[in-house]
Amino acid sequence: MRTKTPILFLIPALSLICLIVIYPIMDTIYLSFLTPEGEFAGLRNYAEVLNSKEMLDLSRFPKTYPPWGILIHNAIWIALHLPLSLFLGLVLAVALREVKGSSIVKSMIFIGMVTPMVVGGWMVRFMFDKDIGIVNLLMRTLGLRWLADKTWTVWPELSLLATILGSVWMWTGFSMVIYSAALATIPKEYYEAAEIDGASALQKFFYITLPLLRPATLTIVVMTVLYELKIFDIIFVATRGGPGGSSNVLALEMYFRAFRYFRMNEAAVIAVLLTLLTLIPAIYIVRTAVRR
Amino acid sequence: MAIAALKEAKVPVIVIAIICFLVGLGIGWAIKPVPAPVKPTLIVIGPWAGPEMEKYMPVLEAAEEALGIEIEYRIYRAEDLGAILPSQFEAGMTPGDVIHWCWPVSIREMAEKGHLMDLTDIVDAAKYPEAVIKAVTVGGKIYAAPYTYKVKPGFWYRKSKFTEWGITGEPKNWKEFVDLLNTLRTKLGRDDVIASGDAVGWPLSDIAEHFILYKAGKDAFEKLKTGEQKFTASPVKDVFGPETTEGTLSWLIAQGYFSAPEDWTTIMEKWWKGEYGLYFMGSWILGMVDDPEDLGLIPLTALEDSASKAIVGCFPDYIIVPKYTKYPELAKKLAAFLSGVEGQTIQVKQGGHVASHKDVPLDAYPAADKALAEEIAGMDVVFDLDDTVGGVFQTTFWDQLKYLWAHPEEWETCLSNMQSALEEQLRA
Repeated sequence: MRTKTPILFLIPALSLICLIVIYPIMDTIYLSFLTPEGEFAGLRNYAEVLNSKEMLDLSRFPKTYPPWGILIHNAIWIALHLPLSLFLGLVLAVALREVKGSSIVKSMIFIGMVTPMVVGGWMVRFMFDKDIGIVNLLMRTLGLRWLADKTWTVWPELSLLATILGSVWMWTGFSMVIYSAALATIPKEYYEAAEIDGASALQKFFYITLPLLRPATLTIVVMTVLYELKIFDIIFVATRGGPGGSSNVLALEMYFRAFRYFRMNEAAVIAVLLTLLTLIPAIYIVRTAVRR
Repeated sequence: MAIAALKEAKVPVIVIAIICFLVGLGIGWAIKPVPAPVKPTLIVIGPWAGPEMEKYMPVLEAAEEALGIEIEYRIYRAEDLGAILPSQFEAGMTPGDVIHWCWPVSIREMAEKGHLMDLTDIVDAAKYPEAVIKAVTVGGKIYAAPYTYKVKPGFWYRKSKFTEWGITGEPKNWKEFVDLLNTLRTKLGRDDVIASGDAVGWPLSDIAEHFILYKAGKDAFEKLKTGEQKFTASPVKDVFGPETTEGTLSWLIAQGYFSAPEDWTTIMEKWWKGEYGLYFMGSWILGMVDDPEDLGLIPLTALEDSASKAIVGCFPDYIIVPKYTKYPELAKKLAAFLSGVEGQTIQVKQGGHVASHKDVPLDAYPAADKALAEEIAGMDVVFDLDDTVGGVFQTTFWDQLKYLWAHPEEWETCLSNMQSALEEQLRA
């Protein structure tokens, strides 16, 4: 009886998870192996999707500008967006640590994080506009006229970069807040001891702060990678994946195939691939949490 | 003693209290005021927002009065409906009782799946252009009632601005058109004198379709819809490139005559202020500018050297009634009102719309709309290429044109991608 009690308590939650998570996942996987007529297609759908130019276009990569295929675009998202948002978040958290009134500045930076992504998409369109864009103004000030005189979202060379940078602006608040919270947990005695030993500010940062921020960094990395893999709304609003598919990503392609072309089986294939990719960081974070 | 007496009296008191309560309830129910009958509220979905919506409201107000109903208007663009309706319909639900949707391919698809009400009995097919009815007919039944439509006739300019810049007369052939562009360059002090509107992609597709009609002709245009003509074969191929040959679309882009695409309403304001000289847009612009009578039109297909005398027309903003409406009969009545003479007459009076119903009188149109009608008199109206084919072709066509605007030298790649998408969609 005693062993059965916890299971009884779990039944309502498990039922819900089965109904709204497990069943749709299984159904999507099943759909990905069917033809539009409902016949078994084996791996044909997977082969077709993965061999398509939209997924991977090695004839252009890296010789010329995008489109390079959405798998490469997603990889670029991770390669650029992750270090940038991580680094900026860390710098801001450390720089604002002991500053009076820093909470106001932090709140302002965090606004990007709480702004709806759809609004963020529109902001990207404005930020990189040749006439009114703040980034273009900055480029003009720096003398980079070839960047200043272009609306980034309508140029294949720049549209992917524009959405990534726009998202960095929005996501940096997240890493900054996590780092700020983690910094607050480091005992001051460590720094006092280091000072007595004559450690410089840089030494304190590299030998105390950075190692003790490792758990926070791991959390940010995993959450950011998940966010980057699932990115949709900001691109949908800012560029619709264009021009010519130059800023397209997995989630957007899945949407197009499902709701614009009504090719549910192909959309299911991308959904399965997306799920598998997001499972890697998700499993990692769960295992780390369990170990702790 | 007193307490004992109270206890004895307790049961009868409770019984009397319950009886009084029930009698009170009965009396209250019997004499309650009868509420006035509530008018049914129908939800109408349409694509119009801002000034366009304001010009649609008088039609709905007239419908409310004529049918004794309340109408709640909600804005959904065609592409939003494309994403929402299939899943809602599959779940047996609908976001609206009467829906305007200009995608005949999707309408037929929804009709085939049994999601739409048959409107054959409220649509007098003889009163509308045959192609308009045919586009939404499945198995001999009409599943959408045609509303008004719009044409995309050519490049608009402001007469007052042209006068201010000392430009007189309209171009009669391609050479004069290019001369006009060069004059505008001098007057405006900028290279990109043609404003390029951007939305999900359609303003650029309208320009491309107009060029196909101008340089390749109506026959090639219509054959693209069925796959008999390829984008990658002459004469359509020659419309787009090479960018080094004067007269092609990519040449115009490469020479910098077109601006970079910008939100179509924002750039329209800039053009109106005189920052740009020309703007390619549909006839709905008549209902959006401050002074529609100040508008002049240059259709390339009216030039002497045009391959056809035709313009592109949008499909009407069809009216569909989903099977899942709570008010099927009222919704059909409303659809009949909107698509009929009365509804369309009120709409065309507001400007920017062309009636699809043949009985709408010409004097219902405002002066600027009449001027447009005179300008395009004698021209054939052919229906939109991307709306007719739909699906993956439409999205690819839009997106590849945006790419072409950025890199006209890659026109062949763009055409090849458009052709692949066209074949894919036609196969589907």
